[in-house]
Amino acid sequence: MEPFQVASFVTAGILIVTGLWALLMMDNILKKIIGANLIGDGVNLVLISIGYRPGGFIPEVMHHFHATATPSDYSHLLAFEEFASNASYSLPFALVLTNIVIGASTLSVMLALAVVLYRKYHTLSVQKMFEGEE
Amino acid sequence: MFDYILLFAVALSALMAIIQENLYKSIIILTFESFSLAAVFHFLLATDVAAVQAILGAALLPGLFIVALYKTTQGRDE
Repeated sequence: MEPFQVASFVTAGILIVTGLWALLMMDNILKKIIGANLIGDGVNLVLISIGYRPGGFIPEVMHHFHATATPSDYSHLLAFEEFASNASYSLPFALVLTNIVIGASTLSVMLALAVVLYRKYHTLSVQKMFEGEE
Repeated sequence: MFDYILLFAVALSALMAIIQENLYKSIIILTFESFSLAAVFHFLLATDVAAVQAILGAALLPGLFIVALYKTTQGRDE
């Protein structure tokens, strides 16, 4: 495994642990939402690191393709085995692309619920919300 | 070397966003974390994911947070 891949896994672990700590220990409800966002970022980083291939080329941006090329210039890339052994693994990319958009929409729902809770209890502190409930 | 510095910046700014007391500053640091994460995605050969993460993380996410924070504190700095 590549050193940069290992460093990415460690960073993702730090992000997930930090987000979990904020989600459990912080009193402010907006800090809890920030923690949930950090957990999502950490999971995305793990998934992207799995698809990393050092020295490989990007499936979407081919450096071999340029404006003046003729089809014979990149005919060696049309063989599927050549492409599959050099490109980075692109299935997690599609997965993460969906996950980012879904994360943004769930974040907006969480923030709207926080605003609704503030209008009812006039505070952002979860402790005071529980006291106001009794 | 620059990619490792970016990874360190992601981890450090995530910690700082949680520790920071002022919520406005916390949102700005979270934006920095999200944009650094987009650069890390670029170094991990995922340019399409990096583009989406840069747009959503640097424009939509702080916008939503600041609107929610303004609606919950009426513009007061708590």
